[in-house]
Amino acid sequence: MRELIESILSDAKRRGATFADLRVQEGDGTSVSVEDGRADKVYSASHSGAGLRVLVNGAWGFAPTNTVTPEELQRCLDDALSMAKAAAGHVSEPGMVAEIEPVEATVQATAEIDPREVSLADRVKRIVEIEQVVRERDDRIVNARASYGDGAGSLIIANTFGTWIEQQSIRCSVRVAATAQSGDIRQFATESEARPGGYEIASNIDPEAWAGAVADRALALLDAVPAPAGTIDVIIDPRVCGLLAHEAFGHNAEADAVWAGESILAGREGQQVCSPLVTIADDPSLKNLNGSFVYDHEGVPAQRHDIIVDGILVGYLHSLQTAARLGVRPNGSARAEDHQSEPIVRMSNTFIDAGDATLEEIIADTKRGLLLKGGYWGYVFTARGQFTCNVENAWEIRDGKLGQHYRNASFAGLTLEMLSRVDAVANEISFDLGGTCGKNGQGMPVDAGGPYLRIRDVVMGGQQQAGSGQ
Amino acid sequence: MSELLDLAQAAVEAAQAAGADFCDAYCSDSTDISVEVEKSSITSCSTIRDQGLSVRAFVNGGQGFAMVQQLTLEDARAIGRRAVELARVAHPDPDFVRLPDPTEAPEVPELFDEEMAGLDAGCFVDWCLRGVEEARAVASDAIVQGGAGVGWGDSALASSTGVAISKRGSSAGLSFFVIIPRGDDIGTYFEQDMARRMADLEIGGVGEKAAREALRQLGSRPVPTARVPLILGPLAAMSLIGAVIGAADADSIQRNRSWLIGREGQQIASEVLTVREEPLVPAGMRSSAYDGEGVARTPRALIDGGILTTYLHNSYTAFKAGVQPTGHASRGGYGSSVGVGVSNLQVQPGEKTEAELISEVDNGIYVSYAGISPNSVNGEVSTTLDFGFRIENGECTAPISTTLIGSTGEELLTNIDAISSDYREEPGMILPSIRIRDIQIASEG
Repeated sequence: MRELIESILSDAKRRGATFADLRVQEGDGTSVSVEDGRADKVYSASHSGAGLRVLVNGAWGFAPTNTVTPEELQRCLDDALSMAKAAAGHVSEPGMVAEIEPVEATVQATAEIDPREVSLADRVKRIVEIEQVVRERDDRIVNARASYGDGAGSLIIANTFGTWIEQQSIRCSVRVAATAQSGDIRQFATESEARPGGYEIASNIDPEAWAGAVADRALALLDAVPAPAGTIDVIIDPRVCGLLAHEAFGHNAEADAVWAGESILAGREGQQVCSPLVTIADDPSLKNLNGSFVYDHEGVPAQRHDIIVDGILVGYLHSLQTAARLGVRPNGSARAEDHQSEPIVRMSNTFIDAGDATLEEIIADTKRGLLLKGGYWGYVFTARGQFTCNVENAWEIRDGKLGQHYRNASFAGLTLEMLSRVDAVANEISFDLGGTCGKNGQGMPVDAGGPYLRIRDVVMGGQQQAGSGQ
Repeated sequence: MSELLDLAQAAVEAAQAAGADFCDAYCSDSTDISVEVEKSSITSCSTIRDQGLSVRAFVNGGQGFAMVQQLTLEDARAIGRRAVELARVAHPDPDFVRLPDPTEAPEVPELFDEEMAGLDAGCFVDWCLRGVEEARAVASDAIVQGGAGVGWGDSALASSTGVAISKRGSSAGLSFFVIIPRGDDIGTYFEQDMARRMADLEIGGVGEKAAREALRQLGSRPVPTARVPLILGPLAAMSLIGAVIGAADADSIQRNRSWLIGREGQQIASEVLTVREEPLVPAGMRSSAYDGEGVARTPRALIDGGILTTYLHNSYTAFKAGVQPTGHASRGGYGSSVGVGVSNLQVQPGEKTEAELISEVDNGIYVSYAGISPNSVNGEVSTTLDFGFRIENGECTAPISTTLIGSTGEELLTNIDAISSDYREEPGMILPSIRIRDIQIASEG
């Protein structure tokens, strides 16, 4: 295989490519879905193929195949060169790559228990146990769902710099969801554990504590009332903080957006862009998080990237191309969903760093506000820096004490304005937002986190006018 | 094309031989060519050929699903057998009755355009260059991102009940996102066009429209927090309607996780709202004669004068409920099993133009685009109105910034008081604007 791949890359250079890379991937995955007490859906999928990318006269050409044979790889080369040449005469912003030292490495998967060595019947039994806890928690639980997934695969990354990396990977995930109903009110909560690792991710779960807590959250929401609308101070929990770090801020730090004029951070390196209490980083080298990896998909070693230090913008997330365009060193942030996708700049484990306050101090110091817990979803328009985050819970804070429980509220704003209004940051962080981030049609495993922190004057999109008696 | 059907049938036969009570197989072979624009420059071209096959097998109602990204006879048979192995591990499901029998449906013409499938990368380079030029003619400092491309392919579906369907389709399109920076201010917007046949595709004007709207977004400002009428433009209206229809998924209803439980046949919206599904429109973007299980799709009103006429059924949910499948089984490709989905949606236009509806509003919001999607379980909505304008004394004035709504699907639907007579038309789809009275918004104003 190595001889074949290196020969294709040599051919690419001989035929005019200034750079080429090839990823060869194969893997198998299994998933089990449980609902209403039955594991009635058991799925498996086999993925395989290669993606070849070439850079010719400043234009990129890309062609993948699902069949890794000499003939098919040769066809990919012909197609990729033909694609690049079709674009090459019309490029006003030439593509480029930063030169990197070639890497020769083999990466083994880290799994205590290889899921392929656990019988499928046992995997089914485990996820049924987890769903059962939710379903039997309370009569008001009207739907319980759980799913288990695992995948094992290999990835070869090779390029014309001479990089040759063989990475094995094993991932595992467990998800659970609860729907509770009382009268006409129906509420929902969900939780997941997903990261690189083996079956231990499922077997180490304490179903009663972990899945039971999800059911309890859905039940508690039945007694919550619709959230208020208007501008108010908020304290956000680590999960909402992760959502803010990833959605509101992180996408703006992706250097492809910065270069393209599609980020509010463009041209602001070295400037104070938000509160000095805010430090933000992205770190794929952290162990056992959903966005962790050893090499990115261009063969650059994973490393911590500081983005904001004490409120000052210090850097972005880079691919080989964005590093060359902005004149810096690549920092290992390019990943591709599969062999049919090109590597693009992606976040990994993104977080706001800890401060020095305690949550209790921050709440006690808040005269009127909301404590927001549980991030559902978020999105951002990076060019405008306008983001939205949706949260599961809010609790009223009056004179330093927690009060009324509210449900389902979004907050929104302009990212840098909002981060400038951060005035208290708690001293512990956690990562609780393992999931899949979508960008340019590609899904990628990521994680995010942070501490509790307080932001002044945040616009909340609730159903009740503030002060209307709710 | 018949080779694909042969493969699907071979997979079905292998699954039956391995002991499947029921099974179906789907496979596809597609090609996509696309050109990308970043920072107003052509940057890359790609050509992607994708092939794969999947099998669903049922044993005592338990479902096994297996997929492979290959199209060989050997793989097809192996995947058929693998699906049965998985189905034997799955728990029996007494609610599963059977897969549907074959049905007859009229052919939907012009879903494949030979001319479109023959386009090369150079053509899409030209479309992109034109889009960039148009945007820059509107604003010389416009930054354009986006691209253009085409996709075409064949697919086949076979089942143990005798379903045997082959399809061929094509579509092409272009989309641009335009950024206009002016000092500390920035205006952005997007536009796109897609079609299944060249005659329906309007290549000119996409870049220009995106740039003109981006210019209009400059100078955005907050509005007062209040209860006001909203006018949802065509794209915002369709996001709401699409999400409401999606919540009528019978599986979610039967499993107690939809806010539309118990609402079939009931008034869920204002009487002015009628939404039809038209699956058989020639060259419609979402047209198809059959659903993802081979059941004939039928034109019908899904919301008729505000009444939800039916839940959306695939064969599993229909037979479980003791009704006939409604033709709403959907497949996202060979990589996914069967869910529920609709084809082309057409909202019945009203009596007054969008401009007349706006002119009747003293103080409100016009929403150009927002993902107004009620939470599928509880129906609650709390989200940002991403692009829009304040309406003052019957006219759109300043663009809005950081403005959210808090509402419910029920309130939004019930409070609809008018549908516009003019509309945006996509192949197969009719998207008018919708006016909704008295909705809570929050902003910094």
